[in-house]
Amino acid sequence: MDFFRPDSLAEALAAKAEHADAVPIAGGTDVMVELNFDHRRPAALLDLGRIVELHEHGRQDGKVRIGAAVPYARIIDELGRELPGLAMAARTVGSPQIRNRGSVGGNLGAASPAGDSHPALLAANAEVEIASIRGTRMVPVKDFYTGVKRNVLAPDELITAVHIAPATGAQQFSKVGTRNAMVIAVCAFGLALHPDQKRVGTGLGSAAPTPRPATKAEEFIATELDWESPKPLADSVLRRFGALVAEAASPIDDVRGSAAYRRHALAVLARRTLGWAWSEHLGGGRRACA
Amino acid sequence: MSILGTRVHRVEDPAFLTKGGTYTDDLTDERLAGALHLTLVRSPIAHATITSIDTSAAKQAPGVVAVLTAADCDLEPVLVFDRANKKMVRPYLATDRVRFVGEPVAAVLTEHPYQGEDAAELVDVDYDPLPAVVDVEAALNGEVLLFPEAGTNVATAKGSADPGAGFFADCEVVVTKQILNQRVAPAPLETRAAAAAWDDGRYTVFCSNQNAQGTRDDLAERLGVDVADVHVILPDVGGGFGAKIGADPEYVLVAWLARRLGRPVRWSESRSENMTGLVHGRAQHQTITIGGDRDGTVKAYQLKIVGEAGAYPAFGAALPNLTGMMARGTYDIARKHSSYVSVVTNTTPTGAYRGAGRPEATQAIERAMDLFARAIGMDPADVRRKNFIAPEQFPYEITDEISYDTGEYAKALDLALRSAGYEQLRAEQARRRERGDTKLLGIGLSSYVEITAGGGASENGSVEVHPDGTVTVLTGSSPHGQGHATAWAMLAHEQLGIPMEKITVRHGDTDQIPEGAGTMGSRSLQTGGIAVHKAAGELVELAKQRAADLLEADVADLVVDKDVAAITVAGVPSARKITFAELAAQEQLRVHTEWDAGKATFPFGAHVAVVEVDAETGKAAVQRIWAVDDAGPVLNPLLFDGQRHGGIAQGIAQAMLEEVTYDEDGQPLAASFADYGIPSAAELPSFDLVGMETPTDANPLGYKGIGEAGTIGSCPAVQNAVIDAVAHLGVDHIDMPLTPVRVWTAIQQAAGGAK
Ligand SMILES: Cc1cc2nc3c(=O)[nH]c(=O)nc-3n(C[C@H](O)[C@H](O)[C@H](O)COP(=O)(O)OP(=O)(O)OC[C@H]3O[C@@H](n4cnc5c(N)ncnc54)[C@H](O)[C@@H]3O)c2cc1C
Repeated sequence: MDFFRPDSLAEALAAKAEHADAVPIAGGTDVMVELNFDHRRPAALLDLGRIVELHEHGRQDGKVRIGAAVPYARIIDELGRELPGLAMAARTVGSPQIRNRGSVGGNLGAASPAGDSHPALLAANAEVEIASIRGTRMVPVKDFYTGVKRNVLAPDELITAVHIAPATGAQQFSKVGTRNAMVIAVCAFGLALHPDQKRVGTGLGSAAPTPRPATKAEEFIATELDWESPKPLADSVLRRFGALVAEAASPIDDVRGSAAYRRHALAVLARRTLGWAWSEHLGGGRRACA
Repeated sequence: MSILGTRVHRVEDPAFLTKGGTYTDDLTDERLAGALHLTLVRSPIAHATITSIDTSAAKQAPGVVAVLTAADCDLEPVLVFDRANKKMVRPYLATDRVRFVGEPVAAVLTEHPYQGEDAAELVDVDYDPLPAVVDVEAALNGEVLLFPEAGTNVATAKGSADPGAGFFADCEVVVTKQILNQRVAPAPLETRAAAAAWDDGRYTVFCSNQNAQGTRDDLAERLGVDVADVHVILPDVGGGFGAKIGADPEYVLVAWLARRLGRPVRWSESRSENMTGLVHGRAQHQTITIGGDRDGTVKAYQLKIVGEAGAYPAFGAALPNLTGMMARGTYDIARKHSSYVSVVTNTTPTGAYRGAGRPEATQAIERAMDLFARAIGMDPADVRRKNFIAPEQFPYEITDEISYDTGEYAKALDLALRSAGYEQLRAEQARRRERGDTKLLGIGLSSYVEITAGGGASENGSVEVHPDGTVTVLTGSSPHGQGHATAWAMLAHEQLGIPMEKITVRHGDTDQIPEGAGTMGSRSLQTGGIAVHKAAGELVELAKQRAADLLEADVADLVVDKDVAAITVAGVPSARKITFAELAAQEQLRVHTEWDAGKATFPFGAHVAVVEVDAETGKAAVQRIWAVDDAGPVLNPLLFDGQRHGGIAQGIAQAMLEEVTYDEDGQPLAASFADYGIPSAAELPSFDLVGMETPTDANPLGYKGIGEAGTIGSCPAVQNAVIDAVAHLGVDHIDMPLTPVRVWTAIQQAAGGAK
């Protein structure tokens, strides 16, 4: 096995262009598990560990740009205020060791329907910055996932960053599992209020072949919420929202849970997170937590 | 002031916390110089005949010294549990058939371990799959047999499943339920490891294990050599939980290979190997039937067990017998009936795991008590009180030979309930139900009694004082994390006055300590500890006899001056003092002694668990647990509570998280820590440990065992609590682990049933 360790993004992109079968490794918390269990024997590894650009975050065009390899621990510590939904999701990833290594770029690279950052990225309308020696392109995160553990990356491309607008409203993330961390969630849900756009963003995890938004639920709630003079939401509205989120799912039965349970739990998570977020909105910013 | 009963810090810890332990895989012993590394090719299929094995490619791989299969191995297949069906013998490397995923098929020996990983993949095994027997019903109907020559899948059985006509006839209410005490993985932090050398006609075997001498005897028998020709040494051992007792097949193979290849051989398993290669625990399918009157009197209790022995009957096949023996728990029930069948299935063999047989008994009777209470509409605490064995009934006979020694069961439960504020908890539960709160409160009780030192209550110990004033204690009971070095030193210090830091405890080397039974079944303090206590006492007597002449005094007038670790004359402050060290300088000062209590002891207690259940998602969280664990007087609260902490964590984990499952083809579905939930601090509340001490009469210090009590008490309390939380919705039972999906499904089914 070859091991490439580029010092700059340009070198990394050149290496990836030349060795399309080289597997990028950021935190390695997915890659090393696959190697260890012999699920994968790549011809080469492309270590992103030395590339400064991928380990930085900053502002660009009013958005937060997070380098693909920035670990969850730093997102929690450094970006919790601007990106509360993503930080909440990040807090539930694995264990401290995993959060010190694992990254959003890696989560996107793996594109597992169970990845915890996806619901938060979807709810916040994140964009994925993708680069190759051919250039750079931006892909809305909802178009990024193409199938179970598949994404839009071409063989010569790397994820370089995600771009997310700083929160303008309340955000929530909630998941159900045997325990809160160190186990793959049975299902997860992310929600973001966008008062500036008068809409609500959603994201479903472990509920379909790919992470996805609940579009009909978003459309429904956009018409129900009164952004000008906000009032408490009727229970029937919350429930309808939950039901539409559940409808957006196409879950499966597996060892972790039945499809019926996943649908039901998503409805509960959706109803609750919307309730919490809307009360935060009404109450001027006090956050509830799952 | 006596050191006994005080919170002495573990003498083991400074080394563990600084340089770390030395486990089998860390050894740099010169006897292992030039060792080959063993990698096992394990079956990926649960049930198949092996049609051919081609090792030629593997033999060509870099670093490969040898590749061996059953055809090369002259070890006799072994009947691991000697009372199982005689045909159910286990080969060291699979011969014509594999019977579980993870069964060793070929041995690859290489210069470096990583070479073995690569070469093992080149061993080409042709499997012809057979239908897998996974569930016990399929095993019992016997359509597919694991051992056709046995003619049955039953490994061992006892008792009729029919308690006889009239067993429940006079009961106003009878409740019956099928419950599962699920299969769990012991998951010790240190996976198994062994290293062996064969030199000059003698085996030296280092391994991760709970009992050096028993393992030596197993090795000698299975290798077909004299006990004198096997030397077993146990370095630090990183946990065992009962699953590292005796010589595992891999250990025998490592020793045999060392001789066969003429070079030392080392083996250390990966976590994945450990999850299928090490025995599993529990795996009992139980039918409980409880009958009694509406006033709360339980009159009859029947426990029917189908135990999973796994592919090759080992100790797990025997454990339902112990479960049956302990079935009545803490209750004086007029009629008790138990029976069991242990069957083989295409799964990992089962063995002992913390509690081994007793948690299964406690879970069953404590679930039965709750079911009965529910059926007659009585508070579960009141039903328990109504049926407890009363203090004046001790010794309380449970078999012709065995009696509960001492117990205060009602007192323990009352103490636990008082500590928890039971009435207030019930009131809070009612308030939440009335409000229609989605966060439901559940309160679960358990009362337990268990047997410790049940496998034999004798042990040896020696105490020697050296001329430099240091002491060596030898014990037959080697620890694997319990803290014997601290406890035994306290016991020796108590009588000799020699400072603890001068006392060294040695264990786990069969040349130094030829006899001993090891650490299992919560036996050590009351056997090995008492042996050291006795040896130290005898050493004092010996020292007095030798000092009498020198002090020109009568032996009866001599005492130990503990401040200076010397013998002197009682009541004469000016009298000369002769230290133990001085006596040792004149003549070896050493006592070796045997202690045999002749009987087991029966620790008991009561736990109260409080859980919160999210009625909408089914997610349950343990909020508090109050544990009264009475194992007699406490030698060292730090060690005692440490055992309770670990035990309670594992009990909660079985209730909430852990389960080894297989698909219908016998493929394990939870064979790594990504899928198998071992407990972490995040799922556990702080434990409220409540003290109570009722001594046994089995030994002079009144000690019982505490190693397994926490697991035995906590698991049923937590299961009962989760079910209690949703009981008003019509749920009367949910099998463990109580995952959100299961709890939610139970609520749905109860609601559906009620319609
Ligand atoms: C014990 C444990 C617990 C875990 N718990 C969770 C959890 O709770 N929630 C969760 O979501 N995940 C969890 N994971 C999975 C994993 O930690 C996450 O998916 C993490 O985000 C991966 O990030 P990484 O940087 O380690 O990725 P890596 O392992 O380095 O890479 C993951 C994949 O992405 C590709 N990749 C990485 N960077 C790039 C890039 N810049 N461009 C293109 N492709 C790239 C890699 O080639 C690989 O295919 C857990 C893993 C472990 C081992």
